[in-house]
This record gives sequence, C-alpha cells and structure tokens, in this order.
Amino acid sequence: MTIPDLQSLTGPYRIVGTSPAHHDFVDKVKGSLHYAADWQLPGMLHGRVVRSPVPSARITGIDVTAARALPGVAAVLTAADVPSNQIVELASGGLAELQVSMPVLAADRVRYMGEPVAVVAATTPQIAYEAAELVAVDYEELPGVFDPISARADGAPRVHEVGNTLVNWQIHCGDVAGALAAADMVIEGEYRSQHVEHAYLEPEAGVGWIENGVLTLRVSTQVIEHAATIAHILGLPQSKVRVIAAYMGGGFGGKEDMTVEAFLALLVWHTRRPVRMIWDRQESLVASTKRHPFIMRYRTGADRDGTITAQQIEIIGDAGAYPNLSPRVLFAAAACACGPYRVPNASITSTAVFTNNVPASAFRGFGAMQIVLGYESQMDQLAERLGLSRTALRERNFLAKGDLLPTGERLDTCVEVAETMHRAIALLGEPPQPSGPGKLVGRGIGCNRHPYGRTIWFRDRASAWLSLQGDGTLLIRSGVTDLGAGQAASLCQIAAEILGAPLDDISIYIGDSALNPPAGGTFATRQLYMSGNAVLHAAQELRDRMAPVAADLLGVPADDLEFVAGRVRAQRAEVSITLAELAAACDKRAISTAHLSTWRAQAGSFDPRTGQGDTFPDYTYGTHAADVEVDVETGQVTVLRYGACHDVGRAINPMRVQGQIQGGAMQGLGYALTEDMAIEDGYVQAVLFANYLIPNAQDFPDVLVDIVESGEGKGPLGARGIGEPPIGNVAATIASAIQDAIGVRPDRLPMTPERVLALLDQRRQT
Amino acid sequence: MRLLAGHEEAKILAGGQSLMPMLNLRLARPELLIDINQADQRPPSRTGDLLRLPALTRHRVLLEHDLVRQHCPLLAEAIRHVGNVRVRNRGTIGGSLAHADPTSEIGCCALATQAQVVARGPDGERTVPVSELFAGYWSTTLAESEIITDVLIPVARPRQGGSFLEMVRRTSDFAIVAVAAVVELGERPGEIAAARLALAGVADRVMLADPGPIASTADQDQDLDAAAARIAETLEPASDVHASAAYRRRLARVLIARALRQAAARATGDAR
Amino acid sequence: MNKRQIVLSVNGTDHEVWVFPSATLLDVLHDELGLADVRYGCGEGVCGTCTVLLDGDPVNGCLTLAVQAVGHPVTTMRGLMGPGEVMHPLQECFLRHGASQCGFCTPGMVLTSLDLVRRCVSQGRVRPTRDEIRYALVGNLCRCTGYTKILDAIEEYADQ
Repeated sequence: MTIPDLQSLTGPYRIVGTSPAHHDFVDKVKGSLHYAADWQLPGMLHGRVVRSPVPSARITGIDVTAARALPGVAAVLTAADVPSNQIVELASGGLAELQVSMPVLAADRVRYMGEPVAVVAATTPQIAYEAAELVAVDYEELPGVFDPISARADGAPRVHEVGNTLVNWQIHCGDVAGALAAADMVIEGEYRSQHVEHAYLEPEAGVGWIENGVLTLRVSTQVIEHAATIAHILGLPQSKVRVIAAYMGGGFGGKEDMTVEAFLALLVWHTRRPVRMIWDRQESLVASTKRHPFIMRYRTGADRDGTITAQQIEIIGDAGAYPNLSPRVLFAAAACACGPYRVPNASITSTAVFTNNVPASAFRGFGAMQIVLGYESQMDQLAERLGLSRTALRERNFLAKGDLLPTGERLDTCVEVAETMHRAIALLGEPPQPSGPGKLVGRGIGCNRHPYGRTIWFRDRASAWLSLQGDGTLLIRSGVTDLGAGQAASLCQIAAEILGAPLDDISIYIGDSALNPPAGGTFATRQLYMSGNAVLHAAQELRDRMAPVAADLLGVPADDLEFVAGRVRAQRAEVSITLAELAAACDKRAISTAHLSTWRAQAGSFDPRTGQGDTFPDYTYGTHAADVEVDVETGQVTVLRYGACHDVGRAINPMRVQGQIQGGAMQGLGYALTEDMAIEDGYVQAVLFANYLIPNAQDFPDVLVDIVESGEGKGPLGARGIGEPPIGNVAATIASAIQDAIGVRPDRLPMTPERVLALLDQRRQT
Repeated sequence: MRLLAGHEEAKILAGGQSLMPMLNLRLARPELLIDINQADQRPPSRTGDLLRLPALTRHRVLLEHDLVRQHCPLLAEAIRHVGNVRVRNRGTIGGSLAHADPTSEIGCCALATQAQVVARGPDGERTVPVSELFAGYWSTTLAESEIITDVLIPVARPRQGGSFLEMVRRTSDFAIVAVAAVVELGERPGEIAAARLALAGVADRVMLADPGPIASTADQDQDLDAAAARIAETLEPASDVHASAAYRRRLARVLIARALRQAAARATGDAR
Repeated sequence: MNKRQIVLSVNGTDHEVWVFPSATLLDVLHDELGLADVRYGCGEGVCGTCTVLLDGDPVNGCLTLAVQAVGHPVTTMRGLMGPGEVMHPLQECFLRHGASQCGFCTPGMVLTSLDLVRRCVSQGRVRPTRDEIRYALVGNLCRCTGYTKILDAIEEYADQ
C-alpha cells in the first residue's frame, strides 16, 4: 500500500484513519529524542551489577573489601544492604500459583547463571567494571535442573524449596475422552520452541537521582507502577519514589518486569548521588528475561469431514529460576490453546515449571504466541491425513460470533478470520517455481486468535487527563509508556479527532508516576484498548461539557456543532469560533476546560479449579501466508514471499498498523528460523550479538500487508489491538510452507538448515 | 616495530574491526595499542605476475578496485560476504590475515590463490606463503614483533576459474562453512589439470584441502562430487552454537562440489 | 593512564575534550559531547546504532578510538540538518514513510543509506536498487519495523 492509499476503509473520521507522522516520531527522525541513557547529572556515578557465573550454587561468602578499596568506587552493595530483599509478584492475582519471591540481590543461593549478587557504583564505567571483578564471591555449586520435564520428575533438584511446579492451569469442557474414543481420526503431535531474546536495539538503561527528597528514576521501562515495588524494597513511602519512563528504544515485554530500577534505586539511595546504569548487550543476552520455551502436546480428534470434536492439550513452559510473569503467560497459552476454532470437548493443562535457566517472562505474544505452532500444526496434519485442503478444513472449524470458548465464554465480537485467510493467500499471487534443480518450493498458512487487553479478572483501568488551554492548544497527561509503536501519538490522534485540535497543537506528557494519571503499563496489547478509550471518553466528556457554551455563543443547538481544524462550527450555518475563544468563554463562566476520565475494562472472574470463567476481553484474528524454497542439499530455507492480514477493527493510524504487522512478522521470522539462545546446562551459548541472529535487511522479503476493518473491536472507535498478534502466526506459517515443500512437518524451533536437512533425510528413509 | 619489540602487551591496531570488539568485551587487555593506520598510503598495484596489496588495503578497496576485480576476481567476490559497510570501510587485508579467524573469507581466498605475505620484523623482511601462515585458532606463525606489510597474489591466468561459496545462518555473518576454489583446465576438453581448494569453518584454521587427481569422465559433475566426498570424509570440524560437526562436514561436501563446478564452468567460459 | 586533550571536529564544529586514549569515539561523542544520536547497542560492531561518518565514510563509533578521529571530521545524523532544525530530505522521507518506530536504529540507517546514495551518484548511476539498499543495510539492525518502510523511504529519497 502506498501512503496516499492508506485511508481507512470505514468510518467518517478526519484524523483517525489517516497516517500523520507527528510527535515523538519527528524527534526520532531528527535524532533529538533523549532515551534513558541520554541523561546526565553533575557528579553522576556509573553502576554495574555483579552476576553469578554459575547456574546453581550456594553462596558461602562474599568479600567486598578489595572492591570497596578501589579508588573511584562509591558503593558496593550486597543482599545485606537491601532493606526488603524480595520481589513478590502475584502474577495471577493470587490464583493458583506457588508463592515464591525473588531477591533483588542473591543472599545465600543463586539459581541461574547471571543472577545478580551485588551492585557497584563508581566514578567511571571502567572503574565500575574493575570493581565488579574484585567482588569475591565463593560459590559452592549445587546440582541444577535445566529442562521442565526433568524438573517435574520425582527427586529432581529443587529450584525452590516449595517445589518446582509454579502453576498448573486447567481448562476442561465437555467429554474429551469420549470424544477422542469416538473420533474418526486422532492426530497426535509434540512441538517444541526455544528460548528467544527481545533484542531491542536499546539495551536496558536508566539514571536515578534524588530530587527534593524523592528518589527519582528515569528509565527505559514499560511499567511506571513499579514505583510501588521500589518503595517497598527500600522501605520508603510510595510518595517518595518517582519513576519516569523515557521513550523506549524497543520493549517487546523485556522491559515489563523491572530491569535496572531496583539496582539504581539502591545505589542512589545509598550514595545520595545520581547513578547511571546501562547493561552491556552481552549481559542483556545472558541475564535478561526470555520467552518461555514450550513443549506442546496435542491430541486432536475429528470427524471424517474435518469437524474437530476434541482437543487434549498439555503445555509445559520453562519458567526459569523465578516466577516473574510465568503464571500469566501459561494462562494465556491455555486460554488460546484451541486457536480460532470451535472445540466442543477440550481438556487443557498448562504448567509453568522452575528450572535453573534464565527466568522467562513477558515477550510479545505472551504464551498465546508460542501455542499457535501447536494448534496450526495439528490443523495441517489433520488436513493431510483426511485429504482435505488446508483452507477448507479451517473454514469448517472457524469460530463465529456467539460461539462458546472452552472456558464457557461466549464470543461477543465478530470473527473475520476466514476473510483474513483469503486475503493473506491472495497477497502471495501465483505460487513460484523452484529456482533450480535440488530446490523444492512450498506454500503455507497460519491462522491465529490473539487476545488484547489484560485478563479480565485484573479489573483493568486507565486514566487520562485532557486540558484545553487558553490559546486553544491541547494538553494530554497519561501514565502510558511508549515502546516506539505510537502509544503516545495515537492518543493525540484520538483527541484531535474528537476535539478538533490540530495535531501540531497537542502536547502529550507520558509515563511519569508523579505527574500523570495512572494508565497501567504498556503490555498485553492493552494501551490502545485502555488508554485509547480513556482519552476518547475524556475528550468526549470534555466536548460535551464545553459544547453548550459554544452553542450559546453561536446561537445554534449543541448537537449541531462540529469540532474541526481548531474551530467549533455550526454544521448548518456559516458561524464558528476558535478553540481559544471557546476556552476563554468557558473560563468566564467558571466552566473547567480540563477533564480527567478513568476507563474501566469489563470485570469478570475465573475459577482455576473448573477452568471456567472470564479470560480476555476480546481477540484479534489474523492469517499469514508464505512461499518458501528449500535447498535439499543444505536444508537452507529461503522465504520467497510473505503476506499477513489481520482484522484490526479500526485502524487509528493505518501506517502504524502496517508497521506493527511488518515488524511483528519479522520478529516472528527470526523466531521461526534463526534465533536461539541455545542454553545448555544453564549456560547461554549465544552470548554475543553476533551469535544471536535477529533478521537483518537482507534476510527476508518485504512483509506484504492487508487489513480488515470489521469495526467491532472493544478499543476506541471499534479498534482491536495489533501490537502482539502479528508475531504469533509466523512459525506456524513457515512450518506449514516447509511441510508443503518437503512433505515432512518441522516440530522444533528454530527451523535451522540442519534440522530441515534431518527432516529431508527422514523423508528419504520413509 | 620498536614499540612492538619493547612492550610485551602491545598490539597492532589497523582497522580495529576484530581487535576493538575484543577490547570492548574485555577479552583482550593490551597495555599498548600501536595505531598503524597512517603508516602506508600505497594503493594496490601489479608487478609482473603478482597483484600487490598493501596490508593496510581496506576491504572496501578490495571490493571496488579495478585491479582486484581484474586480477583476483575470487577475492572481489568473497569480500562481499565480509562484515558490513562500516567494517569494510576500516578493516584491512593484513589485519584480517593476521587475525587468522578460522571462518575468514579472505583467508580462504588467500590460500586458494597461493598468496604470500611479506612480513617485516626487526631482523628484516621475509615472504611467507599463506599456506604456512595460519597456526591454529586465531594464531599465526608470525613472530611477536613481525608485521605484515604486503599481500602478494598471483594474478588470475587464462583457463583458470575461481568460485567462492559460503553458507551463513544470516546474511553477511561469520561463515558456517566457506569454500574458495580455483580450477585450472587441462589440454583436453573437460579436463581439470589442477584444482586448489581452501575451506573455512571446518577446522581450527582456514585450511587447504587436496582434492587429489580429479577424474575426467564424461560426467564432470559426478567426478567433482566424488572429489568433494573424498575431502569431506577427511574433515574433523568442531560443533558450536551455529552448527554441529556432522552438518559442517555435510555442508562442506555440498559446497565443495558446487564451488568446483562453478570454478570449472568459469574456467571454461574464459577459455573460449 | 592519564587523560589528554584532543580536538575533535564534529558536525562542522571543533570541540576540545579531555579523553583517555582508550576511550572510544562512541563514548566521547555520547558522554563527553552529549550527542544523543550516537548510541551504544552492542560494542561488537554488529548492530549499527553507533554509526558515524568519519571523513564521510560510515564507521563503527564503538570500534574507533576517539584519538583516531583527531584530524578526521566526524558527522552524526544531526549534522545533516540545516539551521533551525531543518531536516535533511532523507530524514523527511523517513518521517513520511513511518520508517522510524522506536527510533533507536534511525541515525545509523540514515547515515548508511545517505552514503550509499551519494556514492552511487558519484559513480554516475541514477540510484541504487532496492536490493543494493538491503545489502548496504545488513549491518544496521532494526527490531521494530521489519525494514520495509525504511527501504521505501530510502527509495523515495534516491528517486528524488
């Protein structure tokens, strides 16, 4: 789509549905945006974390004398220096999970390679590095366990005393055993995915200082609400901790848990000086949270005509050494394990297991992403065994509005997944011919159902404050954080649509726990849904309050008014006033032109014993399609064409929607084909950025994009979330294409040339 | 040279594209860096049958210079796979050979073309065939205080064809396996008189592989494949995060056969 | 090791700075001169976020010592702009096409692609092909955009 064509397909909107480039995007292109590391204060120190070199050990001693004695060192802190050394995250609101806390600095035990043991602050980064090396820690290595199957077995080394199974979700409906027994066809499959890393180009970073007695952190973070946790760790009142979220150089969920915050806070509070911390890329690769590798075991029952009658699904996720958000990730996987298909009898168990690997937590897609490979692989296998086309089989089973999910919820928005499937395939055009002898080509598809918005039983809410100023310009204050996907800019676009203020006249202030109304973190594809609605309602409510004043001034009824291009005008007369004049008039009548609105998501509850209840507010449906070529001698897979189509409800900014789909698909291509942390016995093998293979500009073709706008999303103006969904379809789509090319289905990620060659060997032997 | 000899912990800094990452990652902590970037401004030149590349010749020059394209097309082709634009603006051929990475594309081409390096030390100059230069993982047979000053490559001859192929997990990355092949045609049609093969990524150094006498049957593809299979059997690569030993061996066989075929085809094309 | 005073010419202005000989150009430009458009991304030369032009050629700021830049003019992306924050036409193309999401890779992308287009033109060619642009950008990693809009922006600029 060329830019002039990027007009929204539905809706009588002026700003929403167009693709202006504004606000932070201007600063980014000008290079004038200040990220978290682009901040300096006089007397600033440099902080560094000291990390465990081994995956499982008892700490028998820490000697910091040499480190403290190094000239230029201002502080060396260990567990003993942390007032409240535990981070307890009840990630499922206390539902069903083990309560395990994570220390800020390890005291007597380390449970993963890279676990923080001490922090150092010094006058230069070089001295900080040297001091970190001088911290002498005695480790007595303990047996570790490095995969979830072994960790669940009796007698496995205990990562935590309370046990290795963190949470076990159960969703059951109907009679799975009976349905499987009666099925004409039962397909079994086991699929495995790997540890992958967010690999944002901006490493974790932040600066902390004390201002007017308030501990202030300016960090690259998705969640400013961690201010409360930081206050608890330091034993400070929450009113004495402020977190400012800088615009991020990428987040993808890797900056959803705390990264540098607690370490900065400790060093700043101890030294009473500003401190900066930037993680090394290699440090980030080894020690930052990762995506949960999944083992996905499926037994799918179907009738001869392809109707699915039963799904028995077991999902096992490697949570690594600490809980973080693992319970929620495995919950999302369970809730989406049946995909966009009707399944009347389902039995789903989804378990997060501790190991001595690096902790896994949030990463774009959050469990509902990995599981796509499971359900889509089963669909392709089923189609092949039943002799049905892949598209016909899917169409027979696609969900529709009004259908029940295995949790007993009824879908209350339209399901346009079939439309996305046809459009995605159409993007590819004619199937290609092999480029030479020894090459095979294949076409594949992958459909998904991906949630947007937080799990309903969190009772999510977001607030936004708008103010029409005396000169007609508009101010927005929102606690939203911006990962680079236009979180802030989209709010401006919505406000501009409702209040008619030109985009250039709108300023937005975000991500400050002291100065902004709380909006919740930027994750779960929730910001457009939550903060978009908050701004939409705040703008509408403000307009409704000011409209009578304008009506009075113009002598027309209030519902005759239009707010557009900086003016309020009567639709049927030639009269108008400027927004500045309206503001002045309101002020004279003591009517406030500022307004705070809190938008609350629908509430609900879930019973973990029965697996019935409310899960997510709604879903985004989509399909990807790909043509690949396989070199039968080397196993190398070349993606020839790639297309993606999602139903986004309403595209607030079509160009940004396209960008999310292209970027998400590219991240998915890396996950599918080249990315692997390759953790062996608790040690990460891909320690260098040169060895962690994220896609570059030459690896893959352009992702072709088409969007459906069904208008029934629960976001503002009918929008659905699009941040996460596009990463989910990719691995399944590529596996589908490879299967079409070589006749064998890959079941392990990433689909490296070596693995593909082994599948080719397998095919040759059978 | 004096500086090198006088300091135990001294390192030469040329392009810096291999050394500086090691410093940034603190894998090397030399006490002294000797920046030689201004030491030599000579361009590539040809003298008689030799292409003379000063050691400080940047990769970008190798990519673009007419003399390289004309007299060592193999190298001009292989350089495309080295690093990226920034790396090629600074990286040097001398630095690359001295670094002796076992996956080096340049090392591969130097071996296959029977290149030599001129090394200067406190006791004078000597010429070392590249086949005697690499000593193991990131080490050479150069003395502590010797510096490479020139790389001498025999110019490509008629009836000769070269091919460079590599397999990478991501474009422009370190090679999993790379092959440089130079084939020389014999008198009879379809006859291969000599073939020189260099391999990267299959040992602790870039290495020459002797294909032995290549049969000259009616099915040249089969003859070349047989040669490739013979070589692959002798290889003992290591396994790492990118590929297992078994896969590298298999890949080597495929790439050697393809490289020999392409080199032979180019030699034939040239002969007409 | 002691610091020494050097003069760096950056974006047309001379700066006197005290640096350790071991300091990289990235460290000095970012921390000493406060230039936010030259960024640390990996320290290995792989990601391209520290790209600057040295004598007009793109180099890794993290793999160049600051002292090596003495006498060799340095240009960062902001050095391409006109007085009053007027954007270079290539930057305008980036903005219009949505080629910048989180923005972290943008300076590297802009400098590298500008160099490509300039060199193409100086070799008497009209413009680089899309494939040539891809090849030139292999060392500039982006995790947000999937590269398409970056390529579109550069192609539009090259056409101008």
